[in-house]
Amino acid sequence: MGDSRKPNSLKGETLRTIDLRGVTDFSRRDFLRTAGVGSAGLITFGGWLVKSVSAQERPAYSLIVVDFNKCTGCRTCEAVCSQANEKVKLDGEELLGLGNPRFSNVRVYSFNPPVEIPNRCVMCGDAPCIEACPVPPDPVTGRKALYRDEKTLAIKNDPERCVACGSCAEVCLDKRVGAIILDPVTSKPGGICNLCEGDPACVKYCPFEALTHVSGGLDGRHYALPPEKVAQELISLWYYHQK
Amino acid sequence: MGNPIPGYHGVLLEVDLSKGKVNQLPVSPEDASKFVGGRGLGIKILWDRLKKPGIDALSPENPLMFLPGPLSGFPIPSVSRTCIVTKSALTSPVKSRYRSASTISYSNVGGFFGPEIKFAGYDGIIVTGKATSPAYLYIDDDKVEVRDARRFWGMRTNDFDIAFTEELGDRKFETCYIGPAGENLVRYAAILHTSARAAGRGGVGCVMGSKNLKAIAVKGTKMPEVAEHKRFVDLLEEVRSSFKDWPGTDRWRRYGTAGAIIDRSDRGIQSVKNFREGTFSEAHKIGGIAAEQNIWVRDLACYCCPLACKKVGVVRGGPYAGVYHDGPEYETGTMMGANLLIGDLSGLMKEIAELDDYGLDQISTGNVIGFLMEAYEKGYIDRKFLDGIDLKWGDVEATLALIEKITHREGLGDLASRGVKALASEIGRDSHEFAIHCKGQELAAHNVHANPPRAFCYATSNRGACHLSGDSLGHLNLLGAITGQTWDFPSYINTGERIFNLEKCFNYREGFRRRDDALPDRFFEEPLTLGPAKGAALKRDEFEKTLDNYYSERGWDPKTTRPSKEKLTSLGLDFAWKEIRRL
Repeated sequence: MGDSRKPNSLKGETLRTIDLRGVTDFSRRDFLRTAGVGSAGLITFGGWLVKSVSAQERPAYSLIVVDFNKCTGCRTCEAVCSQANEKVKLDGEELLGLGNPRFSNVRVYSFNPPVEIPNRCVMCGDAPCIEACPVPPDPVTGRKALYRDEKTLAIKNDPERCVACGSCAEVCLDKRVGAIILDPVTSKPGGICNLCEGDPACVKYCPFEALTHVSGGLDGRHYALPPEKVAQELISLWYYHQK
Repeated sequence: MGNPIPGYHGVLLEVDLSKGKVNQLPVSPEDASKFVGGRGLGIKILWDRLKKPGIDALSPENPLMFLPGPLSGFPIPSVSRTCIVTKSALTSPVKSRYRSASTISYSNVGGFFGPEIKFAGYDGIIVTGKATSPAYLYIDDDKVEVRDARRFWGMRTNDFDIAFTEELGDRKFETCYIGPAGENLVRYAAILHTSARAAGRGGVGCVMGSKNLKAIAVKGTKMPEVAEHKRFVDLLEEVRSSFKDWPGTDRWRRYGTAGAIIDRSDRGIQSVKNFREGTFSEAHKIGGIAAEQNIWVRDLACYCCPLACKKVGVVRGGPYAGVYHDGPEYETGTMMGANLLIGDLSGLMKEIAELDDYGLDQISTGNVIGFLMEAYEKGYIDRKFLDGIDLKWGDVEATLALIEKITHREGLGDLASRGVKALASEIGRDSHEFAIHCKGQELAAHNVHANPPRAFCYATSNRGACHLSGDSLGHLNLLGAITGQTWDFPSYINTGERIFNLEKCFNYREGFRRRDDALPDRFFEEPLTLGPAKGAALKRDEFEKTLDNYYSERGWDPKTTRPSKEKLTSLGLDFAWKEIRRL
């Protein structure tokens, strides 16, 4: 597969200790800032959003969040995501797939010291991937090849219109979590969380209740951290001792 | 490759390191049905390939096989393990006409390596030959290459794990590798995965080292078909929810196997002080409760397993502050703790981390050091023999110094790298009475003075002393849905018996007889002096009588242990009978 995420060096000297109080403060500030942005902030995001939505009637964004303290890296999420999203038709009946992880929209990355990061699309409200898509909006639907599904607000790709340029995957890897995977044959984007029609299989089946489906998700710049960054912080938090 | 049976790709990947050649071999549907599971297919291939007894385990001819079973790779809870099968680098018979006689070796490891072999499109990997210089094997679906590993040779496993991920440039590769111990051909070297999961037993890492093979990296995108899709996904749902309802799930998640450290000690069946005792007065200092309070940071699971019995932690203070590693588990905590009278949890973590880092089997190493501590205490050996190490019971630093010597086979480490059987024959006197092994493989962390069934299992296991009795295929219905075959309890038992008998024929041909199904005198002659099982010892006449019954029950000759013609024929092993009938 075209999944060639470059591992960062995680050797001791590059690590730093995290101040827990700082983390708490940051979350609070983040919350306040987002809350204070209002409709003015949204205007800057791109035509499609301000057209129909005011600050009060924001669409119900939702995303899968991970409790890293609970995640054991078992990768059940990969298997059940694949099962749910790569169904098999047998004798007219649609059945769950066998769970080949290549068809999963969540990918667990393992680090050393042991930290497991289930990586998935975090539904950035500002969607730099859509921004980067060079295909002009359809005059009727307003959609580019990469677009936001009006119902679930998940990001989708229209393979008929997609020109396989890879810009979406590039910008996601560069600026956000690197969730978009290009198909090794067609070079078109895939691996994007679709929230399973509102009932995500990964959340339902996680044996450790490490995944939760929550509403939220606005400007990805505030929370869409790549696995390497999250891992580095968790390693500092969990494995660094006070001499 | 013909029509594989469902659940299998029908393809084995063979890599001949001598010729640098890669080959895809078909899996015979008959073998796949009759020898189910990695251990089963392993002995069949080993039997087919090593046509003569006495072939040196470290010779290029000995195949090193990585065999996930038919369930592996499917998202079924707790079936991720991979069996590594080869001819043992560690065992030897009491006597044999062959200088390099040894048993079969099978060692298994959890994690993600086995499933990824299946994802790459193979039912297993067979490595033969010997590379001219250190190499690693790169497998990305159909792209298979033998690559240069010279710059990695000599690296400890944790540094290597990090460096190798960088080399591969993709975290989605699953890897396994040896450390310096395997490179230096320590007879009980392990093969590591995720730098903390180990296929430790029987010297599989030594065989890997003899092939100049540092590592294997594998990644893939495939999955075999199943015979009955609907039944499979329905059963999968059932199995998943059965784990939710199982009361053991909570216990496994909280303490893993370390929960047994105090329990086994309290029952007098733990390996303590080189198996002299069954109860450790400081078990509470190294058990699950202490580790949870002081060391553990989080839980880790193998592929699609809801138990997460693996605990990883960090030492927060004292001389070993900063050491992070998995453990202690029951085996590692007992062998490197209780068996050496080490009750210092931080020191124990340091030892466990060092052993995995060097790539040594924790069980055999715990025996070797325990044996030397006892021999030193009894005055059989002096400090000079130990290269100046003051190897007293409970001494972490002395233990660490010895671990390093063994890894590099320096001084005493050279002899110690061959196991307790070799040490006892060098030291002489009656030291063999407390050299705790069977067929040359050291016993695991379960003491047997007060546990006769376990004693029996150690004595009759085909790979030398083994604490994992029997074969767990488990999930019989799922196996049926995957392969399309009918699996019930009798056919399951029959298959296990077939596999076990072929292993036995392999060993028999090498020269293993009843005299090799023996345990050290200690268990018969030195009753426990402490704890709830105080006074317990094995009774020799009972032990021998049970063996008699066992061989008869199995259809083997009680005098020689040779399987009978009738038994082998009934199991479809006529081909094996032809090889052993004159022996």
